[in-house]
Amino acid sequence: MVCVCVALAGPALVWAQQPAPQQQDEFVPIDELPAQDQLPAAPLLVAAYSFVALALFAYVVSVARRMATVQRELERLESDLKRSGRT
Amino acid sequence: MQKWFTPAAVVCGLMLAVAPLLIAQAPYESTMGLVQKIFYVHLPSAWVFLLSAIVCGVASIRYLSGGNPRHDRTAWAAAELVVLFGAITLITGPLWARKAWGVWWLWDVRLTSSLMGWMVAIAYMLLRKYGGPGSDKLGAGLALFGMANVPFIYISVNYWRTIHPTTNVVPTLPTSFGLPLWFSAVTFLLMFVLLLRLRVGLEEQRARLDALYLVTDE
Repeated sequence: MVCVCVALAGPALVWAQQPAPQQQDEFVPIDELPAQDQLPAAPLLVAAYSFVALALFAYVVSVARRMATVQRELERLESDLKRSGRT
Repeated sequence: MQKWFTPAAVVCGLMLAVAPLLIAQAPYESTMGLVQKIFYVHLPSAWVFLLSAIVCGVASIRYLSGGNPRHDRTAWAAAELVVLFGAITLITGPLWARKAWGVWWLWDVRLTSSLMGWMVAIAYMLLRKYGGPGSDKLGAGLALFGMANVPFIYISVNYWRTIHPTTNVVPTLPTSFGLPLWFSAVTFLLMFVLLLRLRVGLEEQRARLDALYLVTDE
């Protein structure tokens, strides 16, 4: 019975402990907020899209450079083998 | 390179050009506003991140069971894409969270398990690069852990208490949000296929090079 009472009273206690919503009695322009509370979305959005573009571009360039290096090495080896008549 | 590669690359390039227009036209979300538009790159990159981990794991299982080096090359290429798309997911997510949640990072189950999946891929890459002989089999074993983590990452938001949106958000999206998302998702998927093919091509060239070195050494 005690457990049932506690279980029933629990949510009511939690509700009672929540701060009541404050009634707004003034409007504050956003530029009057402290600097840490002013967080424009645009720089975050630009940073996200720039990072995606840069990461993909850098990866494609990296793979292309590695492929070019391997291709050069392959061509060098193949010409060496042809010269020595071992192909 | 296969015949389909160049036309697919052109289509992917066009889709990459069109995607920002669709994203710009999508409406602002009511509570998050402009910053919610990060969603259109964050979610597709997260999906491709998980897909890459699955491809890496499946290719590793096939390599361990059959020993075909082609599967090992696919696993290695996919692991690199796990690192790439994982980095995109793990960078764009905090940029969105800073505005939407007020913090850059939370050690909740979705974020932590995603970071863990990404670190498994980094470990795989390091092992393959510096592990020496036998690292292919050891790496394949590690890739299985990376793949096993994928369903955990996906369902975690539905079972644990977290501030991250659940998997129910996407099926209930209105068309105005859904169209740019699915367009972006198809673009990322096509990009994944192209990058995987390109990266596997590099491994094939390296295999040819190794074979030629063996011939010259004989």
